[in-house]
Amino acid sequence: MSRRLAARPRLNRPQWALSIGAALAVIGFVGAAQWNSSIARQEFITSAQRVLISEAQQAQSQQESLRSQIEEAEAQVRGFQEQAEGSATLSTRLSEQVATARLATGLEAVRGPGAVVEIADSQRPVPADENASNYIVLVDDLRDLITALWASGAEAITVAGGGGAGGPGERLVSTTSIYGAGSAILINTTLLSPPYRIEAIGPDGLHDRFLAHPSYITRVAKRIDAYGLQFASEPRDELTLPAFIGNTRLRWGAPVAEAN
Amino acid sequence: MAARIAQLSLFGVAIIIGLLLVGQLRSQARPIELSSLTAQELSVLVETLSARNVELADGLADLIEQIRDYEISQARGQSEVVLTAEDLERVRAFGGLLGIEGQGLRLEVEGSFDPTAINDLINELRNAGADAIAIDDIRITARSVAVLGTDAIEIDGQPIGRTFQIRAIGSPEGLRAAIERPGGILALLQQSVDARFSTTEERALEIPPTRRDLVPQAASPVE
Repeated sequence: MSRRLAARPRLNRPQWALSIGAALAVIGFVGAAQWNSSIARQEFITSAQRVLISEAQQAQSQQESLRSQIEEAEAQVRGFQEQAEGSATLSTRLSEQVATARLATGLEAVRGPGAVVEIADSQRPVPADENASNYIVLVDDLRDLITALWASGAEAITVAGGGGAGGPGERLVSTTSIYGAGSAILINTTLLSPPYRIEAIGPDGLHDRFLAHPSYITRVAKRIDAYGLQFASEPRDELTLPAFIGNTRLRWGAPVAEAN
Repeated sequence: MAARIAQLSLFGVAIIIGLLLVGQLRSQARPIELSSLTAQELSVLVETLSARNVELADGLADLIEQIRDYEISQARGQSEVVLTAEDLERVRAFGGLLGIEGQGLRLEVEGSFDPTAINDLINELRNAGADAIAIDDIRITARSVAVLGTDAIEIDGQPIGRTFQIRAIGSPEGLRAAIERPGGILALLQQSVDARFSTTEERALEIPPTRRDLVPQAASPVE
């Protein structure tokens, strides 16, 4: 006895044709928008800018290479110092002192409780009569947030661009500058782009103190409200921050020997 | 058969829409938009990046020399104590735990400053390549920021008066050029906070160590 399978309902031809048609219209719209935006960007770049952009990109890739060589060399030096541990009392004590000094000065990766702060450009449309730069994260915003965190008791801070997706972040040390060139922000030697993610390790209550600190409230919090800069922060039980990678050599000065 | 083709077509179309939308959203995000910078901003950026690369290259050269010294010391069967002691001094001086002497710039400052203005000035000196900075006798470390205290501006819990002195170790000419350039930090502060500055290039400056204990309490080293 044969049994016929029930006939499957056939898709109504005009219905799926309409769906495809609508989808193709969306593709056309999005494709055109994308094409237009890339054309618009290209149109305003002069040849001088193109040369400078290429030089900036070369400098960035050279920097990446130098930083990775420095990281390797630092590890080698630490290796020599660790080998010395246990070999003699003085060596051991010195190695411990180097480790403590590195910890205190941002040259060692650290972990502990703290706070995470993220800030990104506004997604509000910029009104015709307003300055577009009000709607993007400015170097002053980052400086204010970092000042508020240090002043609230942070012991270690990193700043990452791209919301942290681009890498572990730049550890802030005694020589760190936070520098704005147009809409680009340079921290240590690295160019970062929004969203910016700031991670800070510090004692209990760091996050609450940060949100109540005048360096946060006075300017950046007002800009967040006024222009819709995207902002989020939260306390964390455990964060791990990388060590600073860069030059730690004094170029113009020499240490003053301690009077014992 | 027709239904299968329709499904496959819709699937393909959905993928294309997805890819295009992601592309569009990404182009709306703000990556490092070098193309949005003016030629002047780009020129400053290239100059800054190049200067930082020179610093990195110098630092790397010193590290390579340090490694060579350790290797020679090991090959000769000598103790590495002297080398490690030098490294300890270097690390402590870098972070502000040890005093530094050298050439640099001295600024005598007078004005009605707010904490942000002082922090901006410190940032500008760091950006110009200062090895170390002190305001009066307060060594500026990574954690030192000017804040509004009870009666005055404070850095590391110590008050700053209306008149104060900044010392920065670095290239005297470079530091001076960076802060005195037209439209630079001194010009801005002279307008915004009614400040007066007197700068002197110095061949011998000394900057004290910090009085703060910088060993972290909440943070511990990653093993």
